[in-house]
Amino acid sequence: MSETAKTQILTTDGIPLKVSLKKSERKNKIRAFALVLPLLLFLIITFIFPIFSMLARSIDDKQINTVFPKTFEIYKKWDQSQLPSEEMYATLFNEVITADGRQIGKASTRMNYSKSGWKSLIKKSKRQFKKIKEGPYKEKMIAIDKRWANIEFWKALGQMVDPVTMGYYLNAVDLTYDSNKKIIRQPEKRRVYNSTWWLTFEISVLVTLFCLVLGYPISYLLATLPLKFSNLLMICVLLPFWTSLLVRTVSWIIILMQKGIFNSILVWAGIIADENRMQLIYNKTGTLIAMTQILLPFMVLPLYSVMKTISPSYMRAALNLGAQPMHAFYRIYMPQTIPGISAGGLLVFVLAIGYFITPELVGGSEGLLIGHFIAFHLKSSLNWGLCSALGAILLAVMLVLYWVYNKIVGIENIKLG
Amino acid sequence: MIKSIKVALLAIVALAFTATAYADFTFVSWGGAYTMSQQKAYIDTWGPVKSGKTKVKVENYNGGLGEVKAQVESGNVKWDVVDGLPVDMINGCDEGLFEKLDMHTWEGGKYNASIKENGAGASGPLSECSAPQIFWTYVVIFDPKAFPGKKPKRMKDFFDVEKFPGKRGVHTWPQAVLEMALVADGVKPTKVNSVLQGEGGTDRAFAKLEDLKGHVVHWSAGAQPLELVSSGEVVMSIVYNGRAGAAILSEGASFDYIWEGQVLDGDWVAIPKGSKNKAEAIEFLKHATSCESQAEQAKYITYMPMRDCGTKIIKANEPWFHTGVDVLPHMPNTKRRLKKSVFTDPVWWADNNAELKEQWTAWMAGNK
Repeated sequence: MSETAKTQILTTDGIPLKVSLKKSERKNKIRAFALVLPLLLFLIITFIFPIFSMLARSIDDKQINTVFPKTFEIYKKWDQSQLPSEEMYATLFNEVITADGRQIGKASTRMNYSKSGWKSLIKKSKRQFKKIKEGPYKEKMIAIDKRWANIEFWKALGQMVDPVTMGYYLNAVDLTYDSNKKIIRQPEKRRVYNSTWWLTFEISVLVTLFCLVLGYPISYLLATLPLKFSNLLMICVLLPFWTSLLVRTVSWIIILMQKGIFNSILVWAGIIADENRMQLIYNKTGTLIAMTQILLPFMVLPLYSVMKTISPSYMRAALNLGAQPMHAFYRIYMPQTIPGISAGGLLVFVLAIGYFITPELVGGSEGLLIGHFIAFHLKSSLNWGLCSALGAILLAVMLVLYWVYNKIVGIENIKLG
Repeated sequence: MIKSIKVALLAIVALAFTATAYADFTFVSWGGAYTMSQQKAYIDTWGPVKSGKTKVKVENYNGGLGEVKAQVESGNVKWDVVDGLPVDMINGCDEGLFEKLDMHTWEGGKYNASIKENGAGASGPLSECSAPQIFWTYVVIFDPKAFPGKKPKRMKDFFDVEKFPGKRGVHTWPQAVLEMALVADGVKPTKVNSVLQGEGGTDRAFAKLEDLKGHVVHWSAGAQPLELVSSGEVVMSIVYNGRAGAAILSEGASFDYIWEGQVLDGDWVAIPKGSKNKAEAIEFLKHATSCESQAEQAKYITYMPMRDCGTKIIKANEPWFHTGVDVLPHMPNTKRRLKKSVFTDPVWWADNNAELKEQWTAWMAGNK
C-alpha cells in the first residue's frame, strides 16, 4: 500500500490517476481538434501545399531526363574536350524524332535557359530531321544547322544532367553552373539579381523608417486628442487607405512630375528656376515618397490601437516626480509603445518587400524590384523554376528576419491592440 | 403582399441565373484603344453577337503566357481567344498551350496565301496555332511644339541628346530598342536583323544605347508614353503606333512621327488548349480574321492588316477612318516607309529574350 502511494496515485477504481485523466480529457481534445480541422485543412490546401509545390518547382529539372534519357547516359561518359561521338549524335537524333511534340517543346524551353538558341535549334531539327533516313548522323545533322557542331551547345547540356538542380537558386544570386557543374559567376553583363536584392531591401528598410517617423506623431495625436478631433483625423487616415492603389500611384505621378503640381508651385513662388525643376519621379525619390504614403496607414493603425491602451496617468506621474517632458516621454511612454512599433514595422516591411506595381510605375529604371523579376519570369519567359527560386529566397529572407526579430525583441512583444 | 414580393425577388434571382446560361465567350486582349477597335470591328459585327445568341466578355491582360500557362496546366481554362505577340505565339504553340488550327482549310484553301509576310521573313501563318491579326510598329513620336527650330527627322536624332535636348521615353523591355539603336548607328534598316543576330551585334546596340544614359524615362503600359509626351515629361518617345494614331485622328492630339527605323511587330490570335468553347472560338476566329474584319479594324485604329485582301479593301474605299479622314497616311506599311523599317524577328527573340532581358535590366539600372 505504501509503495503504490509513493509511486502513483490511484483512483477509486484502481486505475492510475494519470491514465484516467487522460481518458476523460481525450474527448475534449478530439472535440477541439475537430473544430479546428476545417481551418487546418483550408490552410494546408491554400497555403502550405502551394508553398511546397513552389519550392518543388524551384529545384525540379526532370523535364530533360524524360525526353533525352539515353543521350544523358552517354553524355556522362563524354570528356568534353572535342565534339561528341557519332553514337551521341545518333542517340539524340532518335530521341528527337520519337519525342512527343509537347514534351520536347517544354524540354527545349528548359535547354534554352542554359544556352540561348537551343529552342529554335530543336524546333528546326525536329522538322528537318524527317529528311534524314539513315546514319551516319553527325555530318547530316551539322549540314542541317551549324550549331550542332558548336561545342558550347553540347557543353550546356552538362547543367541539366541531374533530375534535381540548384541551378535556379544559383541564377537567382547571379551565379551559374559551367559545363562541369562547378559554380561560377555569371558574365558581368548578365548580373542583375544581387543589385536588385540590395535595392529591394534598401527601399523596404527606408520606407519602414519613414513610415515610423511620420506615423508615430499621427498615432499619438489620434490617441490623445478629444474625440471630435480624433474622429476627423481618423477619417483623414482611413479615406486614402480605402482609395484604390493605382489611383493613389497615378496621383503621385501627376503631383511629382516635371511639369506637375509640386514643381509648378515652386516655380511660381520663385523658389526654383523653370529650367531647374526637380526630378522627383521616375527615380528612387519618387518610389520612396509614393510607397511611404501608401503604407502609412499600416503603421498608424497598429500604433494607434496600442497607444490607446496606455493610461495618461503614467506620464502625469513621471512629470510629477520631476522628470523633464522629453525625458519622461523617452523613459515612460515610448517603451510602452514598442509592441505597436513592432507590429506596424513588421507589417510595413513585409508589404514593402513584396511590392512591385507602385515602384514599377513611379520608379523608372530604379523601380525594378525583385517583384518585377518574379512577375517577368512568371508571365514572359515562363521560367517558373527561376520564379519559384526567387520566391523561395524571399520567403527564406523573411523567415530569417522574423527569427532575428524574435531573438532581439521577442515575438510576445507584438500587439495589435 | 409579402408573398408577392418574395415571389418577385425569387424571379429576379432566377432571371439572373438564366442570363448566364448563354455561352459566355471570353475574348482577351491588351486594353485601351486597341481592344476597343477589336470590339467594334470583330465582336459587334459577329452574327451570334448581333442576334443575341452569344455574349462575349472582353478581358484585358498585359501580355505574356503566364495566365494561359496557369490555366492550361490546371485544366481550368477560362479564356477562349487570346490576342498575343508573335514571340508568345511561337512559345505557346511549342509548349502545347494553344489549340492547333487548320487554317489551310479555311476560306476554301485560299486563306494561307493571303498572308504575304508573317513577320519572320516568310509567307503563311507563323505557327499552327495562331491566326493573323495586325501589324503594328514601335515608332518614335514627338510633340512639334517642343522643337521650335529644327525638328527631329531620323532615328539618329532620337539618340542625339545634344542637338535635341530632353528626355526620351523607352519601354521597359529590349525588343525594338536594340533594332532602333543599330539603325541610329548607321546600319541600313533592311540589314539590321542580320547585324543584330551576328557576332557582336547586341554589344554594338548596347554601346549605342550608352548615348541615352541619364536621359530616359521608362514606361510599361501602352497609354503611358502618350501622356509623357503630351505632358512634356519627355520630348520624344517610342510608342505603339496605333495608340498615337488614335490619339491624333480621334482626339486631335498633335504628334509627329519619325518613320525611319520603325520596328514592325505583329499581333496574332489563338485559342488556349482545353477551352470550353473551342468550336465557337474557331468560328469567331474565321470571322475576326476575314478580309472584311481586317479592314474594319482600321476604321478605329491605325494598325495594318496582315492579310493583303484587307489592305486592298481600305485602299479602294478611302477615306476609311471613322472620323472621315484617310487612314493610309498613318499606316506603317506604305511602300516608302517599309523601305526604312525593320521587321523584328520573333524566332530570334523567342530564343534570346530571357538572356537579353538581364543585360537590358543591367543597362536600365545604370541609367539613373
